[in-house]
Amino acid sequence: MTIRTFFKNVFFQEILKALKLTFKHSFVKEVTLQYPHQKLQLPDAHRGALGLLYYDDGVERCVGCDLCQAACPSHCIRVVSGEDQENGVLRRFATEFYIDMTKCVFCGFCVEACPVNALGMTKLYEYSTANKRSLIFDKPRLYEVGKNYYNDAKAYLVAHNQEKADESAEAWRYRFPSFTKQ
Amino acid sequence: MAKQQIISLDAPQKMFTVTVDGKQVTVAEGTPVFDAVKKTGVELPAMCYHYAFSPFGSCGICLVEVEGKSNNVRSCTAKVADGMVVRTNTDKMIEARKTAVEKWLIIHPLDCPVCDADGKCELQDLTYNLGVYDIKKGVKKQVPEDTRSLVLDFNMERCILCGQCINVCKEVQEIDALAFYKKDGLTHVGAHEGVPLHCEFCGDCLAVCPVGAITSRFSKYAYKPWQLKKTQTTCTYCSDGCAITLETEGSKVLRVTSKLSYLSKFGHDVERGDGHGGLCVRGRFGFQFIQSEKRLSRPLAKVDGQQIEIPWFKAIPQIARKLMQIKETYGGQAIAGLISGRCSNDEVYLFQKLMRATLGSNNVDTAARYGHMNSILAMQKGLGIGRSTTSYKQITLSDVILVVGSNVTETNPVFSLRIKEAKRKFGAKVIVIDPIQTNMMKLSTHPLQVAMGGETAMLQGLVKAVIAEGVAFSGFMEKYPKAYETLRQATGSLSEESITQACGIAWDKIKEAATLLAQSKRGTIIWGEGIVSLSNGQDNVFRLMDLAHLCGLLEKPGAGIHPVCEENNEQGAVDMGGVPEFLPGQVAYANGRERFEALWNTSLPNAVGLTLPEIIEKAHQGEIKALYIVGENPIETLPASMKVREAFAKIDFIICQDPFLTKTGQMADFVLPATTYAEKTGTVTNMAGEINPLAQAFDPKGESRTDFKIFCEITKQINGNAMQSVEAVMHEINQSVPGYFNGERPTINPEHLAHYFENGFAEDVIKRYQGTNTHPSSDVVNDGIFRLVLGQSIYHSGKLSTQDEGLMKIYNKPTLKISEADATKLDIKTGDWVRVATATPNGPLPLVAVEMQESLPKSSVELAIEIMSSLPKGMVWFPEHFTNLKDLMEVEVDPVTHVPYFKSGLVSIKKVPLFDLSVVSSHSCAINRGEAAQPQDMNSPSPSL
Repeated sequence: MTIRTFFKNVFFQEILKALKLTFKHSFVKEVTLQYPHQKLQLPDAHRGALGLLYYDDGVERCVGCDLCQAACPSHCIRVVSGEDQENGVLRRFATEFYIDMTKCVFCGFCVEACPVNALGMTKLYEYSTANKRSLIFDKPRLYEVGKNYYNDAKAYLVAHNQEKADESAEAWRYRFPSFTKQ
Repeated sequence: MAKQQIISLDAPQKMFTVTVDGKQVTVAEGTPVFDAVKKTGVELPAMCYHYAFSPFGSCGICLVEVEGKSNNVRSCTAKVADGMVVRTNTDKMIEARKTAVEKWLIIHPLDCPVCDADGKCELQDLTYNLGVYDIKKGVKKQVPEDTRSLVLDFNMERCILCGQCINVCKEVQEIDALAFYKKDGLTHVGAHEGVPLHCEFCGDCLAVCPVGAITSRFSKYAYKPWQLKKTQTTCTYCSDGCAITLETEGSKVLRVTSKLSYLSKFGHDVERGDGHGGLCVRGRFGFQFIQSEKRLSRPLAKVDGQQIEIPWFKAIPQIARKLMQIKETYGGQAIAGLISGRCSNDEVYLFQKLMRATLGSNNVDTAARYGHMNSILAMQKGLGIGRSTTSYKQITLSDVILVVGSNVTETNPVFSLRIKEAKRKFGAKVIVIDPIQTNMMKLSTHPLQVAMGGETAMLQGLVKAVIAEGVAFSGFMEKYPKAYETLRQATGSLSEESITQACGIAWDKIKEAATLLAQSKRGTIIWGEGIVSLSNGQDNVFRLMDLAHLCGLLEKPGAGIHPVCEENNEQGAVDMGGVPEFLPGQVAYANGRERFEALWNTSLPNAVGLTLPEIIEKAHQGEIKALYIVGENPIETLPASMKVREAFAKIDFIICQDPFLTKTGQMADFVLPATTYAEKTGTVTNMAGEINPLAQAFDPKGESRTDFKIFCEITKQINGNAMQSVEAVMHEINQSVPGYFNGERPTINPEHLAHYFENGFAEDVIKRYQGTNTHPSSDVVNDGIFRLVLGQSIYHSGKLSTQDEGLMKIYNKPTLKISEADATKLDIKTGDWVRVATATPNGPLPLVAVEMQESLPKSSVELAIEIMSSLPKGMVWFPEHFTNLKDLMEVEVDPVTHVPYFKSGLVSIKKVPLFDLSVVSSHSCAINRGEAAQPQDMNSPSPSL
C-alpha cells in the first residue's frame, strides 16, 4: 500500500467527491420535471397516439383506401372498407378501422401514406390502462382522439410538410369525388 | 374495327421475313407487326391489345419505327410486309409512348386510393414502368358514375377508351351489349344508346378493363387486390369446369376472377384453341351462397317431429347405429343412397364404397340419371367408353360442328365460346338443330329449326342423307361393310317426304348439312339436354353415333362426339361408380365385382342396384328403409306426379347432407351440414373428361364438415377403419381406376366395335329407322294447349344457384315465355298473367280446387308471361330452376336407362285479368302481383342478334 492510497482510504476521498458534485448541482438549472404536476412541452413533430380527422364540414376524411394498412411495418392497422350507401352519396369510406396500439411502433408511415391526411399523430401519450384490450383503438375512438387533439394532429402534418398551416391548406386537402345516386 | 381475319388451318400460308432490332424472324402473311416483334422476345407495352380479339389500335402505346416510314407505326394494327425493318425501343419511341400515357393521365381523375383497380391497374404499371412523372394540368371529365345496371358500374372518369370491354363483348362473347356512345360531348362506354345495361353479365368486360372504369357492384370498394388471398380452384356450377380464382379475405369470398385480365393479355402460354380464360355470370357473380346466412352450421336431428340441433359426436354414432340396425334387420337392399353431381370424385368414390362395401347396398344413384346416363349408357354400349371422345381444344379447331338439342349458350356459356371461336376465328361451319331458335342457332352458319319433336326425324334424315349422297366415310364402309349395309337398308325404307314433313326442314338443307359433316376433316357432334332429357333419349344418342360412324368422326384425328351434361361433376360421378350399373372406372357391375371385392377386401351384394326412379317406387312399396341423400333434392326436382314426398314419408330413416336446409332436408331424420366447394379439396371431372382440382380457400363455416369427412367418420364408426385423407382416396382411385388422374384418354377398342356391330346391331338399327314421327312430343298441339318445356337459364344452374343472393338479384322473377304468334292469338302482352294447367292433347284437365297445401300437387298455377320471339308456335318455356311449374309435368321413365323424362309436357294456358288473380302461392310464385316482368329474354339480351 502506497502512502497515496493510504490517505485516500483514511479520508474517504470518494465521498468527498460526491458531496462536491451534489453541492455544485444545487446551483445548476434543473432538467427533470415534476410529472404529473408538470408536463413537457412537446415539439410539433412528436409522434404520439394516432387519431382520425374530419374535414372542416364534419365529413370523415378517411376514404378507406387501405394504404395505411399496407404501409404499416408492424401490421397493427386493419381497415374494412365499403360503399357509403346512405345520404344518397356514393363514396368509398372505412366501415371499420382498428389500430392496435400495443403493436404500434410510432414510425408515422401510415400518416405519410394517407392520401387525404385523414391520419395524424397527436401529442397524446397518456392512455395507459389496466385492460390491454382497450388499447386496440377502433374507429369511434380514433375519431375521438382526432377531434380532441385536432390542433396537435394538424401541427404534426404541418411539421411534416404534409399540410399548410394557413388558408392555402384547403388546396392541400385533396377530396376524392363522391357522386350522388342517380 | 377491322373484321377479324379467318385463320385457315389447312391452307398453306405465305411466309414473310421481318427484321426486328437486327433479329430476323419469319412470320405468316397478315400477321400484325406486334406479333412479329413478340416472336423475337421483345414485349411492347400495349393498353388496348388482347390476344383473344382482333387489334383495335386506340391506345397508341405499342409504337415502333419502321424503316422507310416517317411516322410512328402502331404495331398492333399494322401488318407485316416482306423485308420490313422494325426498331422497337429507340429513345424516340420511348418518348412517344410516354406522351401517349401522359395523354390519358391528364384527364384521369387519379383517384387511385379509392379505385378498386388500385394495385392491379395497367395504367399505373405503365406510368411506373415508363417513368411518367410530370403530368400537365388538364381538365378532368367530371362525369357521374353510371350505377343503373344491376351488376356493373361504369365510371367514365377513369375510362381510357381502350375499347377492350367492347371488343371482348363483341368478338369473344359475340353478345355486342357494349358500345361507345356520345353524351354531353364526351365518349362513354355502356349499353347501346346509353340505356341501363342489361346483358348476360358474363363480366368479361370487368376482367379485361385495364383501369377501374368498370367495377362490380357485388364487391365494390370492399377490397384492395393485394389484400385478398387467391385460391386456384374449379367452378362447380356447370360441367364446363372453368378454372377460377377465389379471392377471399378471412372466410369471405370477395370476388371471383379467372385467367382473363390485363395480365394475361399477351397470351404467353396460350396455344391456338386454348380459349380466352373468361367466365360466365354464374361463375363470376354467383359466389355469395358460400357465405349465405341460410347455410346450416350444426347437424339437425328429428326429435318428436321437431328438428333440433345436436353436436356431431352424438349425430355420427346414432346414424351409424341406425344404419347397421337396418342392414341387420332388412339387409343391405333396404338402404339406398343418392349423391349429387356437384360432389368431388373422391367423395363419390367414398360414398359408393360406403354404400357397397360397408352397408352392402348397390342402390346408389347420382344426378346423371336426369339425362346424362342416356349418353353414357348408349356410348358404353356402342363405343365402350362412356365419355366425350374429343377435347375442348379439338372442338375449337373443328371445321364442322353439329349442335343438336343443346341450348349451349345458356347451359354451358363458356363452352359455347369455343364453338363461337371455331366459327369466327377458324371459319368452321356450325350446324344447329333445335326446335327453339337458340342463340347458337342465330350465330350458326346452318340453322335448322326443326318442328317441335322433330329432332328424331332430323337425325334419321341426316343418316339417310349421308348414305344416299354416297359421302359416307370410306374407312367405315371398308371396315364394317355389314354394319354399313344394315344402315343403308334400314334408312332406305324412310322416304324423304316423311322426314321433311316430320322435321319441317327441306330435304336440300338436310342433304347439305349431312354432306358438310361427312366431308369434314375435323367434325364434331355436340348434343345436350334437348336430346337426352326428352323421351327417346337413348335412341337419339344411338342415331347420333350412327351418324358419327358414317361421317368417320370416331376415326379422323381431331374429330369426335361430345355429350353436354348439366352439373359440374356428373361425368366424374359416373366414372367413380356413383350409379348402380357401374363400379369405379365405368366397369359393368357384374364384370368388376370380383376385382373390387379383392381390392376392398369385402363381399359385394349380388343384386343389381336400384336407380333413382326405382328407389322411389320401392319406397312407395315400403321396401326401402333407409335413404342417404347427399346434396340432392328430389322433392323439389321431380314433379309431384312422381309422389316423391309420399314415398319419402314411408322411409323409416332419411339422412340428408347438404349445405342448406332443402325441402327434402325438412323431411329427414338427420340433416348433416356439408360444405361448399370453396371449403374442400378434391378433384372434379368436366364433361370433356378432364380432371380439375378443387382447392380449399378457407375453413368450413361453423361446424359444417366436408362430405368427405362425414363419409369417413360414418365408415369409421361402423367398421373402425377409414380413409385418412383425400390423398389416400386418390391413391386408391389410382389403383382401382388406373390412369384416371393422369389424363389418359380411353381409346375406342376396335374389338368392341366389331362385337357391337355383330351382336344385335341390325335389329336395333331396324327399330331405330322404322318410321318417322316416333317422338311423342310431336303430337298435335291445338288451340289453348301448348307444349311446356323446362329449360336452363343462363343466370342459374340447378337449384343451387337459387340460394345465391347475387344471382337471385339478377334473375329471380321467372316468367313463362311464349311465342309471338301465340301471344297475338291469345291477346297476351308481356307482363300479363296467365293460368297454366295440365292438359292432354284433347283439352285441359278439369280443374281441381286448388288448396294452399304444398303437399298436394297443384293442378294449376298462375304466372306472369313474357313474349320471346325465338320460340316456335305452340311452345311455352319456363326456367327449370324455379319450382313453379314442375308439378304440372307428367313423368315418363325410360324403360332401358331409367331416366325420368319430365322436362316437357302439355299444358293449357288461359289469360287471367289482373284483378281476378286467385292464387299467388307462397313459394312458387315469386313474382309480385301486378309487377311487370323485367325485359329478360333468355335468348336475345342484345338487340343486334
